[in-house]
Amino acid sequence: MRQRPTDVFAGGGAVGRDLSAVEWDKTPLGEPAGWPQSLRTAVSILLSSRFPMWMAWGPELTFFCNAAYRRDTLGSKYPWALGRPAREVWAEIWSDIGPRIGTVLSTGEATWDEGLLLLLERSGYTEETYHTFSYSPLRDDDGALVGMLCVVSEETERVIGARRMSTLRDLGSDPSAIRTEHEMLTFAGAQLSRNRRDLPFSLIYLFEGDGVRLAGSTGIAATHPATDPSRWPAEGLVTLQDDDLPTGDWPDPPTQALRVPLLQQGGSPYGFMICGLNRYRALDDNYRGFLELAARHVASGVASARSNEAQRRRAEELAELDRAKTAFFSNISHEFRTPLTLIMGPLEELRSRLADPELDVIHRNGLRLGKLVNALLDFSRIEAGRMQARYEPVDLAATTSELASVFRSAIERAGLGFQVDCPPLREDVYVDRGMWEKVVLNLLSNALKFTFDGRVRVGVREEGDHAVVRVTDTGIGVPEQEMPRLFERFHRIENARSRSNEGSGIGLALVRELVELHGGTIDAESAVGAGTTFTIRLPFGSGHLPAGAFAEAGGEAMASSTADPYVAEALRWLPGEPQPQPPSGDAPKSYVLVADDNADMRDYLTRMLRSAGYRAEAVADGRSALEAARAGNPELIVSDVMMPGMDGLELVAALRADSRTASTPVLFLSARAGQEASIEGLEAGADDYLVKPFSSAELLARVRANVELARMRGHHTRWRTALVDSLQEAFFVCDEDGAVIEINSTFTDVLGFGPEGLPYPAAHPWWPGDAEGHQQVADAFAGLMEQTRGSYTIPVQHRDGHRLWVAAAFNQVDDLDTGRRVAVGTFRDVTAEHYAVQRESALAALSVLLSQAESLTDAMQSVLQVLREQWRATRVYAAVFDDTGSPALTTTEPAVAWDDLSEARRGTIRALRDKPLLTPAAEQTGGAGVTLEHPDGTMGLWIELAENRPFTEQDQTLLALLAGHIGQGLHRVHQLDQQRETALELQRAILGPAQLPPGFAVRYAPATRPLKVGGDWYDTVTLADGRIGIVVGDCVGHGLQAATVMGQLRSACRALLLQNTDPAQTLTALDRFAAQLPGAMCATVFCGVLDPATGELAYSSAGHPPAVVTHPDGATDLLDQGRSRPLGVRADSARPEARYVVPPRATLLLYTDGLVERRRQPLTTGIDKVAAVIQQGRATGLEDLATGVMADMAPETGFDDDVALLLYRHPGPLEIDFPAEAGRLSPVRSALRTWLARCGIDTTTTQNVLVAVGEACANAIEHGHRFQADGLIRLRAAATADHLQLTVTDGGRWKTPDPAANQHRGRGLALMRALMTEVTVSTGAAGTVVGLQARIRG
Amino acid sequence: MSTDLTFTTTRDPDGSLVVGAAGEIDMSNAAEFAAALEDARRQGDAFVLDLTRVEYLDSAGLAALFPHVDHVHLVAGPLLGPLLTIAGLADVTTIRTE
Repeated sequence: MRQRPTDVFAGGGAVGRDLSAVEWDKTPLGEPAGWPQSLRTAVSILLSSRFPMWMAWGPELTFFCNAAYRRDTLGSKYPWALGRPAREVWAEIWSDIGPRIGTVLSTGEATWDEGLLLLLERSGYTEETYHTFSYSPLRDDDGALVGMLCVVSEETERVIGARRMSTLRDLGSDPSAIRTEHEMLTFAGAQLSRNRRDLPFSLIYLFEGDGVRLAGSTGIAATHPATDPSRWPAEGLVTLQDDDLPTGDWPDPPTQALRVPLLQQGGSPYGFMICGLNRYRALDDNYRGFLELAARHVASGVASARSNEAQRRRAEELAELDRAKTAFFSNISHEFRTPLTLIMGPLEELRSRLADPELDVIHRNGLRLGKLVNALLDFSRIEAGRMQARYEPVDLAATTSELASVFRSAIERAGLGFQVDCPPLREDVYVDRGMWEKVVLNLLSNALKFTFDGRVRVGVREEGDHAVVRVTDTGIGVPEQEMPRLFERFHRIENARSRSNEGSGIGLALVRELVELHGGTIDAESAVGAGTTFTIRLPFGSGHLPAGAFAEAGGEAMASSTADPYVAEALRWLPGEPQPQPPSGDAPKSYVLVADDNADMRDYLTRMLRSAGYRAEAVADGRSALEAARAGNPELIVSDVMMPGMDGLELVAALRADSRTASTPVLFLSARAGQEASIEGLEAGADDYLVKPFSSAELLARVRANVELARMRGHHTRWRTALVDSLQEAFFVCDEDGAVIEINSTFTDVLGFGPEGLPYPAAHPWWPGDAEGHQQVADAFAGLMEQTRGSYTIPVQHRDGHRLWVAAAFNQVDDLDTGRRVAVGTFRDVTAEHYAVQRESALAALSVLLSQAESLTDAMQSVLQVLREQWRATRVYAAVFDDTGSPALTTTEPAVAWDDLSEARRGTIRALRDKPLLTPAAEQTGGAGVTLEHPDGTMGLWIELAENRPFTEQDQTLLALLAGHIGQGLHRVHQLDQQRETALELQRAILGPAQLPPGFAVRYAPATRPLKVGGDWYDTVTLADGRIGIVVGDCVGHGLQAATVMGQLRSACRALLLQNTDPAQTLTALDRFAAQLPGAMCATVFCGVLDPATGELAYSSAGHPPAVVTHPDGATDLLDQGRSRPLGVRADSARPEARYVVPPRATLLLYTDGLVERRRQPLTTGIDKVAAVIQQGRATGLEDLATGVMADMAPETGFDDDVALLLYRHPGPLEIDFPAEAGRLSPVRSALRTWLARCGIDTTTTQNVLVAVGEACANAIEHGHRFQADGLIRLRAAATADHLQLTVTDGGRWKTPDPAANQHRGRGLALMRALMTEVTVSTGAAGTVVGLQARIRG
Repeated sequence: MSTDLTFTTTRDPDGSLVVGAAGEIDMSNAAEFAAALEDARRQGDAFVLDLTRVEYLDSAGLAALFPHVDHVHLVAGPLLGPLLTIAGLADVTTIRTE
């Protein structure tokens, strides 16, 4: 018999026993027998609770605690502390908690402390801990305040987790900003120094050459002796003995430091980081993980800073190259001037003696070339900063008006009005005369070039401190979209109507540079069709100009040498300009081609024709005549009929077959007389016939008649030819066989094939050599032959072999002359556009894929696909060399390993490794490769091309460009990977390792894109009466803020549930808490209290989506009662509470809206879907079901919002451990029977299960522990909707049943098999597991 | 400690021996059960074993029963019926349902 008084400790287990051992008579409370009922009640509540609690009672506040408190908080002070005055027990923190207890005892009001820092001595060292606790008053039987009860929840993990998370987040807060290494280290240092609890001090060292350099420090002076790198020889822990080390945020300095490497992907570390350790925390996995993540941030910062530095250097090299180019340009322009001078000088002299229009042509073009060279020279001078201006005070109005007058005649000849309005200005303007002339002349020549009607106007005005010069025209104007580039060098507005197509596109750019050299500005205003005004503003005075660049006022008249080339050029644009004429005024000489095999005859004919004023050429046979006719287009061919090779008749036939020569008249000369011969000649197509011998007068008469006739006839043909040749687009005519029979000069310019090669039969020589390009052209060509009109863009090959893209259009027409059907087409060179479009679309595709990639592996796959499609490659390889054995290979085909490649291919790819980055290397045939930086090391990319597919220079440019983007993209994806890892690490720290009661499964997933932790949580709390509080909640927002609020709400909700054990009251109390906690308003919470024995569930919902219950038969209930508003939103009435009984083997699902909410879908759709998923999985184990729900509900791109999920299946599994003694069988059976009843199992099945389990247990007792007296047997039973799963586990080894030796044991196994649906026995070194499965009858 | 099991011995109106068992029979008390059966055999060649108040019987109990199978008639409730059938004792068993 036990003594009555200690019954008060009966439910307290080990703590109860130790409490009864206290010598109570030596405390102010006396023997327990004499304790008041109130104290006894308080003690039994305390002892029965599984939540950490301690209490103090009586005048000395005598200390009591329960097992949970002992485990979590008291540590090594147990059992010493029991029965002692609280002041002694908590001496080290009495200054913190004493006043709080005093307040409780004096006012009778409870206190609430959230996350209070307490340094506890419970684990053998002073430990940093955080507790949330509330002290509530205890009263004796008379209602007097005599003690207090403290409910504690330890939050050390959460608080420290949040703190570390904040540091890591700050470290990674701006990964995209480009920083130098120094800036990056300063930034990282600033972030690290904000957490002096986890990092009392830190030192960052970088390896440089053979040495080590201190690159940054926090919390410690850089001059401190501890910064000497030789103090930290190796990775890992270092014990510190210095007493002058900084202490961080703590009273005492660290006693240990950790050396963490700053790892480089695919390389040796950048350096290392020394972290002074918080002496108040043990270096556990979390702490170490935090330090490693912090070091990883620093290392990745160093990596990107260094890569930025490398890129900046590359850019500088390019700039240097550009400067060199400018210098070269400048020199070469200068070199032009000497020969030009030597041409122009003698030419002037010649012109003064000879009035020859050819000299005028040379002169005009010499001037033009000189002007161009001067403009280029000016540019390179400006670019090199060597433009030497000599500013002198100038009467700007007079000078400008004088310059303008030079253009008057040209403008008036163009039929335009010319207004010069230059009233005198109040003072001179400082300008360089030569430059100013160029400014005005350029603007005027520009105005004339683009103005066809109206006028040109030059005006000079004073406006404030500026002289303003305006040149206005009424020309074609500039389209709005072109305005921003108007002053850009070499920029020409395409397709603008102008008087001349000449121009280099540097005039306006030069004007702007020159005006800016004067400290002035130039603007343009323009409207299409209305005209353009250029406005120049020059400041008065000289203060804005560099000192020492002034000249005396010269006042000399302007040098017309500057103006001459401008005017001369402008005049050539005008139609009224007299064409250079032969001095005699005769018509241009007609070209007559003579073909005769007799040299004397040739000489005679040519001499005679020349003396008659014809231009005569002679050839010796028909073939040469045909070539000459095609190339020179003679007005008449005089041909012998009899010639070697091709005779006259064949010549005529060939001429008539070619559209260009079809109409060229032919006069036959023949020695054969007679009617038939002449008819034969005329039938062949000759125009006239002359029989040798003939008189010179007769020949000349026939020649003249034929030439004149041909001229009249050929007038429209020539007109057409001129028209065709003047086309800006290439022009061609195809006959019905597809042969190209006519082309224009642009055709030759674009493709390099001239008229001398006509006709060009299909397949034409410009078809590409590679199979794919050839096919594209062949397809287009087929269309040309079959359809009446069409257009296409195709690749072609220039005569010199380079690849072009042309956009062509064609039309079929009837040739009126021949009645045949021909195709007439035009095309233009779109190579640049084609490649630009190709580049843009490839880049766009690549960017999209890289931004969607979930992981580095994903990204690599996408990248290779893009490259393959871009080049229609047979295969694309990517090998990453990370210095460890074989490179990591990715290809466009699955499951190809490095060793599967041919030795040759391995060699090509391996060679890429040592190539300079981003510099493509192409093989003559077969493929091309490029080298770039992968986060894990150098990456070689090889594109294997189809046979003969060329890899052009354009392709190489594109590959380099794509490779650059790929490198950056992979780096970005890699950073995302790291961030994801970090976020998940943190989430684990915050949600903590929840000890779930049996029967529960939980999941949490952060939002995927962008990856964000959030404010969702789940929680279970085992209450004092054995019921279980279940909570799922969702705070507004994302990120650290929401996570912090979540942590606090979660703790508060826990504490309130323990106090109230009532969901509605808990939520009501939580409302008050939420009202005071910023960010907690509008959080939604589902709070329930479940009786695991009966399935009774009381619940209340604060604006949360309804829980879902799925019955074993698949029916679904929504727990949508007990609903009210979200937290902190004022409600007029108390929160409602609803009740529900979870049926046996039903599954209860609680979740946050992220699981079911989808854009453009009502919430009910998602709820229906998740209900269906649970319904289908109701026969699945709970953990598998939880995993399945998360997978099935996740959108393809991952969850948009974070998700918390809690599943419970009623009843929870049964777990019993019992000693291997036969006497334990009966109580085990009794527990199993109760559990089966909770599962709603019928009596027959129950009996079957009892017997089968009984047999398995009996076997375990007999065999499993024969040699192990104190072994335990474990019975575990779990239910799904339609099955029971039972396992009996022991620590021993069964023998194969031997009925002879042990008859009834063998029968036992047979019984199990007979009674159960499935029986498995597996024996291993650790023991035997019997698995039993029974189907539940529906 | 062994599982609760009690026996009663009576004679039915026709004078045959009836052994009534009540409780649960497992390996912890199978020896007691065997002894009770041996005892009944000593009192007569055949007897009736009334198992209607036995809530649990496993192979240890069956093992004690088999040596007497030719001399015993079993009476059992629906709870033990299936087990006795599986054990091949249906021919000597009356299942009483009420």
